[in-house]
Amino acid sequence: MTKEEARELFIDFMYGGLDIDTQQQLEAFVQQHPDLKDELDGLMETRQVLQQMPVESPTEQFVMMDPAVAKSSFRSSFEKLWTALSPKSGFGRAGFAVASFVFLFIITGSLTNLNFSMQDGEISLRFGEQPPAQVGYSAAQVEMIINQVQAENAELVAEFVQAAQEQQETQFQQTLASFASYLDEQRTSDLELIDYSLANLQETTYNRFVQTDQVLGEIIETVSYNQ
Amino acid sequence: MALVLPSKSTKEKTKLYVEHEMTHMEDAQLVQDFLGGNHQAFNKLIGRWQDRIHHFAYRYFANNNDAAEITQKTFIKAYQKLNTLEDAGKFGSWLYRIANNLCLDELKRVGRKRSTSLEALKTAPQSETERAADSALMRNEAIVLLHKALLQLPNEQRMVVIMKEYEGLTFREIAEILDESENTIKSRLYYGLRALRKTFDSWNINKEVFSYD
Repeated sequence: MTKEEARELFIDFMYGGLDIDTQQQLEAFVQQHPDLKDELDGLMETRQVLQQMPVESPTEQFVMMDPAVAKSSFRSSFEKLWTALSPKSGFGRAGFAVASFVFLFIITGSLTNLNFSMQDGEISLRFGEQPPAQVGYSAAQVEMIINQVQAENAELVAEFVQAAQEQQETQFQQTLASFASYLDEQRTSDLELIDYSLANLQETTYNRFVQTDQVLGEIIETVSYNQ
Repeated sequence: MALVLPSKSTKEKTKLYVEHEMTHMEDAQLVQDFLGGNHQAFNKLIGRWQDRIHHFAYRYFANNNDAAEITQKTFIKAYQKLNTLEDAGKFGSWLYRIANNLCLDELKRVGRKRSTSLEALKTAPQSETERAADSALMRNEAIVLLHKALLQLPNEQRMVVIMKEYEGLTFREIAEILDESENTIKSRLYYGLRALRKTFDSWNINKEVFSYD
């Protein structure tokens, strides 16, 4: 027996699945090999530790309801309720029928906006929302209203056009004034620039005259000295 | 440490096998009754399996409300899909498969939150347990850490550990539920227990912690 073969027998050994001969062989082999003995002892102790885990039992017993029984149970309950509530005598049943009809009528009326009215000896019964009362005008009134509206519109348009024209004129004048002011400022600025340039030119010309004089003086002096 | 095996005699094994088969037969009969129109048969199935499914879900979430919710969903799904169960004798395995899938769905849904809390615990456990002077407090903390350690296992290993250690299912039943071979199941159990051992060592959890009453 090899160690691997011995290991393969461990599980059967621990769970009582070996015959006596094989069991004795394994025990003898394991006694000769301390490492195998330690391993087997460890596995057996692991089993003992595992057995320490407690377990809780279910707190309630499940019961599967038969769907057919459940349905018939609901039906019989409804029938019992109906029997208990329904009147027994003929008068009671008639009264119950009338009351049911009135109740149904009221419910239907409230849902369908039932309107019951009596006017000029006529009884009218309507469902749904009532149409608004019709208000009419004569042709002359309509023409007058239209004329009035047109006149008001024309007046409004005229006022609007006049206001727009005034506003445009004002804006135009402001624009012209701004433009004139701008041109004036621009002219002043140009003149200042020209003046500044002329001054610069004058100063530059003067400087060059001075430099020329100096150079000419130096040349004259040099020529005189050489002679 | 000497090897102490939880060995069972042949008589005990036979008794367990008979009880196991009887349970399957009763479940199969109730399933047939329900499919035949007897609604109460399903409520009897609930009565027979509610505790086990609740405990199974509780191992995942360590929370009674979550476990109850998973249990309720499991039975509702079973009620709706029972006509698709091919072998009525495997009702239990089928029910565990539904519950397991629902637990995995729920873990995926809240995985981010749970993994965050686990991250925070990775550095805390040792000092927490060392500082705890009160033995009852230490025991409670150890139980919390025990559950956290279980949650750190990969899904496939955790499922096998829970089904074997807590639900007491046979390797064949677990293999049926998970649609894997028995050898694969044993291998996952081995690696799962080994991983738990390492975690317990690093968090200083051992069986002595639980005997401080």
